Amino acid sequence: MESTDSPQDQLKRVSQELLSNKIQLHQTTVYLQSILQNSNDLIFATDVDGVLVSFSKGGEKALGYTWEELAGSFIRDLADDPLEFDKLTKASREKESAVRLELPFRGKDGQTIHCDISLINLTNTEGKTVGTVAICRDITHWKKLQEDLIQIDRLAEIGRIASGVAHEINNPLAIISEISGWAGAVVSDAKGLSEEDREELETAARRIGEQTERCKAITHQLLSFARGSGPDIASFDIHSLIKKTVSFLEPQLKFKSIDIVLNFEDEALPIKSDPKMLEQVFVNLVSNAIYAVKEKGTDQGRIELKISRAGPNMEIMISDNGTGIPKEDQKKIFDLFYTTKPPGKGTGLGVPICRNIIKKLDGEISVESQEGTGTTFTVSIPVS
Amino acid sequence: MTNDKDVKVLLIDDEETLLEYLSKRLLREGFTVKATFSGEEAIQVAGDENFDVAVVDLKMPGIDGVETQKRLKKIQPFLQCIVLTGHGSVESALESGQQDAFKYCLKPIDYEALVETIREAYEKRNELLNAKFREKVEDISSSGLGARGIKRAINELRKTYGID
Repeated sequence: MESTDSPQDQLKRVSQELLSNKIQLHQTTVYLQSILQNSNDLIFATDVDGVLVSFSKGGEKALGYTWEELAGSFIRDLADDPLEFDKLTKASREKESAVRLELPFRGKDGQTIHCDISLINLTNTEGKTVGTVAICRDITHWKKLQEDLIQIDRLAEIGRIASGVAHEINNPLAIISEISGWAGAVVSDAKGLSEEDREELETAARRIGEQTERCKAITHQLLSFARGSGPDIASFDIHSLIKKTVSFLEPQLKFKSIDIVLNFEDEALPIKSDPKMLEQVFVNLVSNAIYAVKEKGTDQGRIELKISRAGPNMEIMISDNGTGIPKEDQKKIFDLFYTTKPPGKGTGLGVPICRNIIKKLDGEISVESQEGTGTTFTVSIPVS
Repeated sequence: MTNDKDVKVLLIDDEETLLEYLSKRLLREGFTVKATFSGEEAIQVAGDENFDVAVVDLKMPGIDGVETQKRLKKIQPFLQCIVLTGHGSVESALESGQQDAFKYCLKPIDYEALVETIREAYEKRNELLNAKFREKVEDISSSGLGARGIKRAINELRKTYGID
């Protein structure tokens, strides 16, 4: 019976309860602290105005800011699109449970960090909103993987369509080629033609033939792009492969002042990969470099090929001091049929084919370029 | 030197327009040419007429190129076949009939290269034929037939192998 308790007893009980609550509070705090300190997730809390009051270590790592830099700032300002974030906050206030969706944040270096975010409205005992708490998982990596997969899927689909079309077009092309050859032969022996007319007609027939060849080259490239065959791995010397590639392209260098610098030792550097595929990659990339240098019209053209080891990979860098690629075009160069060359000079297949090949060889290809200064392609492939 | 006029070429392709112009060009080049539009037709024609070289398209409705050239070789063992294959089917074609064909060529074939290949195939046919002829002659000489018997046998051989 409580009423019979003496004031002393009551005081004792209350102070005991207080102690046990204090211990519980301490434990909860430690528990929360350890989550905030150790979780890889971005966990934050804001007050009712959206001002950050807590930010986890995982969040610091993901966005690149320290808590000191962020304290007192609005969380919405960290979102890629603050208005989107406002909508999310509003939704969480209208809903009893957490709202969950994908929302990109912007990191300290301006990078986009894709997050899977769960946001919940914090209310006090009277049901009044006092702030928000959110747990965000950095899914940038996963997102990139997903995009890559979509890209691979798209390329495969394009490849399938293209090879179907190329196959169908090959037959009529062969016929045009035969007819132009025939027409040329007939014209060159025809009687009753003026010399001038004969020359006109011969040239016309030859031109039809040449243009047909051009079409054939495109269908051929398309088919080799789409061909599903895997790499043929062999052991070979990458140095001599590159030297061979460069010697192939020497005819393109005639009468031009372009220095090709081979920046590597003379001795053999063995690697296990597909030599034919790599040769195709280097021919494409070096041809592009030569084209870029010629386009610039400089009389001090320079193309450098450099090889270096990077862990389990071999890195081959092909740099030129040509025209360079404008920033907005740098992503597009890997798209099929994207070309900056005038009609007839490029098919827009070279670089995508390179990327396709390098993917098959478990490697990576990247580009760095500055308009007006030059371009560097880096091919990274496993040594074995 | 090969005289193109002597080279009897059998063309087999279901692309009629292509064949029309290809035969016109080869005829103008000097070859003796017969164009057929299917494996079946070619086999029928080969029953009545001798050819030195056949140019066969791999992909045709009905009997395909590999099968056509196999059957043609049964009718005319010395006939050399050039099989034209589309992109990507070279490997499968090679598996199914590598030994039988003189050469597999990738389509679309370059005209000059085709002419050259036809001439080479013709040379090959003559070599094989002459070797076989000599071998038979040896056989007959060592078979102990009398002089007249040998002469008759050789004349018969000349007829079978078409050598004057």
